[in-house]
Amino acid sequence: MNFDWDVVWTSLPRLLQGAEMTLWLAVVTMALAIPGGLVLAFMRLSGIRAFAFAATCFVEFFRATPLILQIYWVYYVLPAYFDIQFSQLSTAILGLTCNVSAFNSETFRSGIVSIRAGQWNAGRAIGMADGQIMWYIVLPQAVMRVLPALASTWVSLFKDTSLVSIISVADLSYVSLKIRSETYRILEVLSALAAIYWLMGYPQAKFVDWLHRRYKVAE
Amino acid sequence: MMPPPQLQARVGSKGSAILAFEDVSKRYGPVHALDGVSLTVNRGEVVCLIGPSGSGKSTLLRCANALETLEGGRVLFDGAEVRASDPANARKVRQRMGMVFQNFELFPHLTALRNVTIGLTTVLKLDAAAAEDRARKLLAKVGLSDKAAANPAMLSGGQQQRVAIARALAMEPDLMLFDEPTSALDPETIGEVLSVMKALADEGMTMVVVTHEMDFARRVGDWVVVFDKGRVIEEGSPKQIFEAATVERTREFLGHLGWHGESNIEAVAAAKPARS
Repeated sequence: MNFDWDVVWTSLPRLLQGAEMTLWLAVVTMALAIPGGLVLAFMRLSGIRAFAFAATCFVEFFRATPLILQIYWVYYVLPAYFDIQFSQLSTAILGLTCNVSAFNSETFRSGIVSIRAGQWNAGRAIGMADGQIMWYIVLPQAVMRVLPALASTWVSLFKDTSLVSIISVADLSYVSLKIRSETYRILEVLSALAAIYWLMGYPQAKFVDWLHRRYKVAE
Repeated sequence: MMPPPQLQARVGSKGSAILAFEDVSKRYGPVHALDGVSLTVNRGEVVCLIGPSGSGKSTLLRCANALETLEGGRVLFDGAEVRASDPANARKVRQRMGMVFQNFELFPHLTALRNVTIGLTTVLKLDAAAAEDRARKLLAKVGLSDKAAANPAMLSGGQQQRVAIARALAMEPDLMLFDEPTSALDPETIGEVLSVMKALADEGMTMVVVTHEMDFARRVGDWVVVFDKGRVIEEGSPKQIFEAATVERTREFLGHLGWHGESNIEAVAAAKPARS
């Protein structure tokens, strides 16, 4: 068997472009899914039954179905039956954001309910409104507590962005698979793909480990 | 079981009523946490609530600032009814009533200074400089000027509780509620909290104090109220309660704490006419 690693070096600019898209997708998705998750968590905790029900349905649907199906569904079903057409990139962002928002909402919710009632009482005792207590007292503590879980979601998201290659978004996976089909250098290209994902993902995973150690002790 | 004592004019009263409980009842499931409690707190007075754990003292405090809804009766603050079901009313009442908790309940993610300023900036809408100025004065008052930048986790229990007192005082309340403020403290830090409270009482602050510190109740209290099983079983001046309690259950409770006072037959007999 002979290897031709040159194909990797000559394709490197394209691969890096793909990597850039992967990173960009993950960042944009998380930037949307953090507020998205918060809104869903607040809806579920609001005590208003219609809000709580709607948010619960959303969360349970997106948590319990595969991301690949969600992306296909947005891409094919919405235009066909509801006459809503998104670009590939918008579809990718929408699918990923819905999915990650659902996970983030559960993370935020568990953090919020883990803050003991005494903190609410202490805020109320100085005359703060419940919304102020949530924003200034409970949420900052809850976020600190769930930071490791959020970071784990981030690492999963980073890898899950590869699924958007199925709708031709030019992320790292899509670009690699394309180069593979152009050059027929399967082993070289896929190895390079793995190496690039690993080089980007490993420091993130290590960072998550560090967060877990750093924030393990509550208070 | 004896009927709950009626409201009575008290000898050591310093001012008009600021807080009144009228036949207040509160249940947790089948448990009567409060079973028809009536009690008046006058301006400038230190009222100490004593009694066994679970007798309803803390619940009464929580009813005062609308942290609990009532099953019966009503609470009057400065003549107006406290309505826990009306959030705007509850917030107004709480702004004028400071509360100090057994477990301090400082905000662990904020420095001592920010713990004190948070109510000023969010509730009273003071600007940051004015809030910090007031907070520093209050931290100085409780002897913690040098701890302004410290996080609660870096402070001892006594220091945390003093920050909590400063946080409550920052709102310039008309009344302070203390819910077993020293029960969670190491013995060596109890004194520093009690002396801050004593200084506050000496300034004329109206205070309602749930406490197991009988010495504090006796020396600093103007009026002592004894709870048992969700009822007020006896109330009177510290001298009366600690030296001449008329109710057997009161003497029993004080006896359990190692307090025997002078509850002999003559003292009891002498005290009786004063209460009727």
